[in-house]
Order: sequence, then structure tokens, then C-alpha cells
Amino acid sequence: MTPQSATTPQDAMTPQDLMIRMLPPFAGWLALAALALPGGSPLRGAAVTAFLAVGPGAALVGICGPALRARRAEAPAERRDPNFERHSDLLERLMLAVLLSVSAAMLVATVLIAAHAFSGDRVLLTLTLLTTLAAFCPRLRASPPTASTARGAAPRKRKGSTL
Amino acid sequence: MTDLSDLTPAAWPTRAAAAWPAVPLLVALALWGYAMRHTDVSPLDDYGLVSALHPTFWAGLAVLTAGFWTTVRDPRRRNCWSLAYVLGLLVMERATQAVLYPTPLYAWAWKHDAVIDHLLTSGGLQSADQLGEMAVYDQWPGFFAAQAALVRLLGVDNAAMYMAWWPLVSSVLLLLPLLLVYRTFTEDRRLIWTAVWLFCVANWVGQDYFSPQSVAFVLHLGVIAVVLRRYGRSGGRGGRQGQAVWTVLLSVLVTAIVVSHQLTPGMLVVTLVALVFTRRYRHWVPAVTTVVIFLAWCLTAALPFLSAAMPDMIRSIGDVGANVETGYGATPTGTGAVATSWAARLLSGSVLLLALVGVLRQRVLRHRALPLLLVAAAPLPMFVASSYGSEMIFRVLMFTLPGAAFFAAAALLPKVRTLAADAAARDTGGYSPVAVARRRRLPLPSPPPLRYGAWVPPLVLLAGTLAFVPSYSGKDRINYFPPREVALVQRLFDQAPDDSLVVAANRNYPLAYEQYWRVDHYWFLDDDRRHVDEIVRDPAAVLARDMAAVEAPARAYFLLTQGQTANSEMNGQLDKAQLERLRESVAASPRFELIAENSTGVLYVLKPAS
Repeated sequence: MTPQSATTPQDAMTPQDLMIRMLPPFAGWLALAALALPGGSPLRGAAVTAFLAVGPGAALVGICGPALRARRAEAPAERRDPNFERHSDLLERLMLAVLLSVSAAMLVATVLIAAHAFSGDRVLLTLTLLTTLAAFCPRLRASPPTASTARGAAPRKRKGSTL
Repeated sequence: MTDLSDLTPAAWPTRAAAAWPAVPLLVALALWGYAMRHTDVSPLDDYGLVSALHPTFWAGLAVLTAGFWTTVRDPRRRNCWSLAYVLGLLVMERATQAVLYPTPLYAWAWKHDAVIDHLLTSGGLQSADQLGEMAVYDQWPGFFAAQAALVRLLGVDNAAMYMAWWPLVSSVLLLLPLLLVYRTFTEDRRLIWTAVWLFCVANWVGQDYFSPQSVAFVLHLGVIAVVLRRYGRSGGRGGRQGQAVWTVLLSVLVTAIVVSHQLTPGMLVVTLVALVFTRRYRHWVPAVTTVVIFLAWCLTAALPFLSAAMPDMIRSIGDVGANVETGYGATPTGTGAVATSWAARLLSGSVLLLALVGVLRQRVLRHRALPLLLVAAAPLPMFVASSYGSEMIFRVLMFTLPGAAFFAAAALLPKVRTLAADAAARDTGGYSPVAVARRRRLPLPSPPPLRYGAWVPPLVLLAGTLAFVPSYSGKDRINYFPPREVALVQRLFDQAPDDSLVVAANRNYPLAYEQYWRVDHYWFLDDDRRHVDEIVRDPAAVLARDMAAVEAPARAYFLLTQGQTANSEMNGQLDKAQLERLRESVAASPRFELIAENSTGVLYVLKPAS
């Protein structure tokens, strides 16, 4: 039997993973480049809005992803659709990517304006740098799942429950 | 003749059947598009947009609702069709005004644009010494700071360039947390999407406009969704590290809420505390985290405002009568205003009544979705806490709605069975729509025809959908400012020297807060009633006296526009004839000089006393 290497096959990053990981910072730098376009240009608007709406949040969810999945989400009592839980998790990640991005934009802009260092370019540059940093950060690891938290484990039922 | 023999015989009917939901959707959108091209909003009456809309708009809404109801009940249809219908509804509901009106609606939205302009001009936050009562916006600057950045990054002149589309944007954003909340309690697609539909049509309160509360509400619902999914007991004991990470992410969302809006953190705290009282969500971390962040902000950045407002806030605690009172100047007056106001009340009342029916009728669902019932009930005690500028009743309704819409939808759908009853029905070959849909391929027999009583739910849904329009757009005569009115007010600010004073009947006009850091305002209908009566008796003399304190080079302007008249008249203050007499008195007075005039209003300046 060959000794296990430090990096298991699941940990090896595929080119596809790398692309997904680098997409948010790329969108940020693209948005910064789009500032060279004239004001009010649709391309400039699309690049800036797309990054501000999803970029920073997607990078943050990317770092936290494995740790977030350590704990199974509450789910409906009926379990008819085998894909339902997976789709809910995807929706949750999308929601977090958007809401965290909006929150990050609000917080960075607030900090800069409170420090009298505000400008639109600085807000975008700060968010892009944070997103780039997040993309290069190692992923937060999850604790090994126990029997009760493993995916597919039966939910605990209470005595007298109608579930 | 074309040879069709190579086609699979089943291909045509199968594809046609699969794409059938597209037909009503496209027809509805086409009718909406036609209505947009043939609706004239220049002569708005007391019914606002309702009487101006082309009849095809109403036909489009009816087709859309019928198509939605048929699609959502059909087990063969995927979620994407229901989503497409809801997006269609949002376009017809929330984009209609942006398409029809050439300028953004709501004086409040224009005010928020002025706050953004202030942040861009000053480059920092200012105190009450510099800004007076408007400093409150600098103490909750999150939304405005982000919008200031967006204005610069888009390279546009101001937020008015895009803020008309904000209701659509904020409503689409709301769908993400709303769907997630509903998917925590049921897999039934009919229940999920009908609840989303009911939420959209019952949310007429109009807090989706360009405002901090529109974003704060989305974030609030996002936090609730995460707490409901990730802080429940059945998630197991493991994954403490995971839970800590969730708390960090929640803190980011909560901090963004706290720095943006005053009321939403309070609503979030009462909701999270209510959840803690259930056995399923006995987890104090989200509530404590929110309270700590909220207090930290209140005791630092927001302290100047809170210390000034605290005595009034303490006085209003427990005064439920005053807190639910809508206040002077908010009494609908005139047939149109009264009718649209009743449409809104009936819509809200019906949804809440349906929710009650759902709670009483759906025993199993009541047990399974008890936390959502608490989410709906938690904001109710806020009536006791504050009047929130006579708006608390509307805000409470809005925060109650996500939970209420779920149970209201449950009232329109078949009873939810226990798992045991469900399994027994499956074992005995009972009807299981999802299983049947997965086993069999299209084409399938259509769903069973509706029985007599089964017509009630779609009719209720249709009535609610149609009632949304007068509730939401019935007061557009007040909220819409034509370009000529904007141009008139803009002319004032183009020439007003620093420290000038603008006197107007009320603040319902575009650019009312433009350059508020250097131009002051006096809205005489906000003043004591006795003083208003004095003005009505002898307008020019009393107004000239009120405006005389302004010292040169500053000037005192009198502005009267159609937006002010509509607001005063439809809210039971001075009527059109009284305001017309007031205008004539000012026009005839030698103390005033006409600066500008058009079909939407007049602008006068007070001549120097000498």
C-alpha cells in the first residue's frame, strides 16, 4: 500500500477550479480597466455593476465554502426530491455572493467616506484588492463530518413529532 | 410538399407541450408592451396611474396570473417556469412606472439623491452643527456612500439617472432570500411559488424605491434565511468551526444593515429573539451578535442623533394609539385617494386574513413552519415601541409579509399531509404529482379540471394581483413630477446664493433637498395649524414677514408646484382653490417678483425690504 501523500486527490486543484477561483478578481480588474471608457457607457456600467454585485461575495464564499458545508442545513420534513437540498445550497451560495458583495461595497464606501478618503476609484480598487487576496487565500477547512452531520444522515425525530 | 417523415412522431406534441407555459407569458408581456406604448401619463387624475393605464395592461396581468396558476400546479413544469412568471410579474409591477414616467417618482427618492450629492461634494460625514436635521443621514451613511461610489464609477451625473429602476432591482434581489426561506420549510413547489407571488402582490407599501430600507430589507431577509437554515437544532452537534464561519458572514450582513438604516436592525433583533424561544432555534449567537453590533453603532457614530431623539422615543413607547395613527396631512381626501387607499387596505387585510386561514387550516404546516409564523408575528410589538414618523403601521406590515404570504398561500392550496399519511398514500398508489411526473414522459394528460370550489384560489390570486396596481400606483399624481416641474425647481437652485431660503407649501416636489447644506427650507404646512390659518387669511403679507429674516446676499424664494398642490389636496390639507388664492395673493403683492413660471408651478423671490 502506498503511503498517503499530504495532498489527497480531492485537494488537487483542477484548471477548472483555478478558473472559477480567479474569476472574481479578474472581474474586479476588468471593472477597473473599464473605468477608462467614457462615463455612462453601457460596457463600463455592465463591468462595474457585475463585479460590485457578485465579485467580492463570491470570493468570500469561495474561501469559506468547505467550512460552511460542515454543518448540514435545515431542510423540509418531506424528502421527495433528491436534488432539492443541493439546489437550496446552490441558491444559498448565490444569495450569499450577492448580499455579501452589496454589504462589502457599503462597508468599504462607508469606511472611506468616514476617513475623508473617499473616491469611486478607491472603493473599487479596495474591493478588487480584497477580492484578489481572498482568491489566493487557502480554503477554510471543515472538521471531519461525524455520523450525525454526514450528508444523507437521517434527521433526528422527536417523540410525538408529526414530521 | 415538405417531407416530414424523418421527424419523430412524438417530437412535435412533446416540444409544444413543454413550451406551452411560454405562450401566456409572452402574450402577457406583449400586452404589457402594447400598453406601455399607448398609455399617456401627462393628465394624471386622483386615481393616479390606474385610470391612465391602457386596458391591455389589465388584460396582460390577468393572462399572466392565469398562466402562472396553471403552470405552478402542473407537476410536469420545472421551477424555471414559475421563476419566469414571477420575473414577468415584477417587470409588470415594478418596471411600469420606470418605463412610463420620464422622471423618477417620489420626493423621498429625490431627497436621497440630494444626500448622495452632499457626500460627493463634502467628501466626508458632517455633524448636526453643519447640516441640522439632515445630519441623520450622515450617521447612517452605508447606502448613500455605496451609491455615491456607484455614481462615480458609472460616470453619470447623479443617481436620478438610474434610480427609477431601483424598485425592480430591489424586488428581484428580494427573491433570493425569500425563496431560500420558503425552501427551508417545504419542498412543495406550488406552495413556494404561490407564496412568492402573494408576497410580490401584497408588498404595495412602496419601500422598494431608491432608499436604504430597500437594501436593508433584503439583507434582513438574508440574515433570517441563514439563521433558519444554519442555526437549527437538526443540523447536528458537529461543525462548530462551520458555525463560527457562518457567524462571521452574518456579522458582515448585520453590520451593513446597522450602518444603513435605523429601524431594520430593531426589527431583526426582535425577530431573532422570537426565534430563540423555539426549541428548534435555541441559539443565542445570531441575536447577541446583532445586538452587539447595533449597540456599538448606536453608542458611537449614531449617538448624536439618538441622544437628541431619545426623549421623544421614550415618550412614544407604549402609546399604541399615537403610534398607529397616520398623522395630520395623511388623511386620504377625494374619491380617487380614498378608493386607492381602501384598495390597499383590502389587499393587506385579505392577505393577513388568508394567512390566518392558512394557519388554522394547515395543522401539519403550522407545526413544520412554526419558526416562519414567529418571523411573521415578531414585528407586531414594534407598534408599542414607536410611531416612526407615522409610518410604523406600514413598516410592520412589510416585515410581517414574508411569513404571512407563506401561510396565505397555504390557505389557497390543498392540505399538507403528515409524512406517514404521505407514505401511505404512495403505497396505495395515491396520486403523487412529482413521482408521476418523473416516471412518465410528455405528453401527459392535463391536470384534472377545476371543481366549482377550486375556482376560488385562482380568483383570489387574480383579485390580489389586480389590487396591487391601485395600492401601489394609485397616488402617482402626488409622486410623479413632470420634467417641466423639475426644470422649474432646478432654475431656483441654479441662481440661489448661499444661505438662501425656499418657502413652499410642503416638501413634495423634485429636488426639494437639493444643496441642503447651503440652502434652507420652510414648508409652511408642516407648521402649527394656527400659523397655517394666518397664511391662508393673508398669504402675501404673512409669507413676506416669515421670509424677511433672510439677509442679503442670500435671497428668499417662494415656490409653488403641482406636486405640492396634489399632496396637500389629496392628504386633506389645503385644497387646490385655497392654494390658488395663495398664489394669486403672492402674484399681486409688490413684495414679490416673478422669477419663473410654467404649467407646473411658479417661482417668486422676495424683494429686499428697502
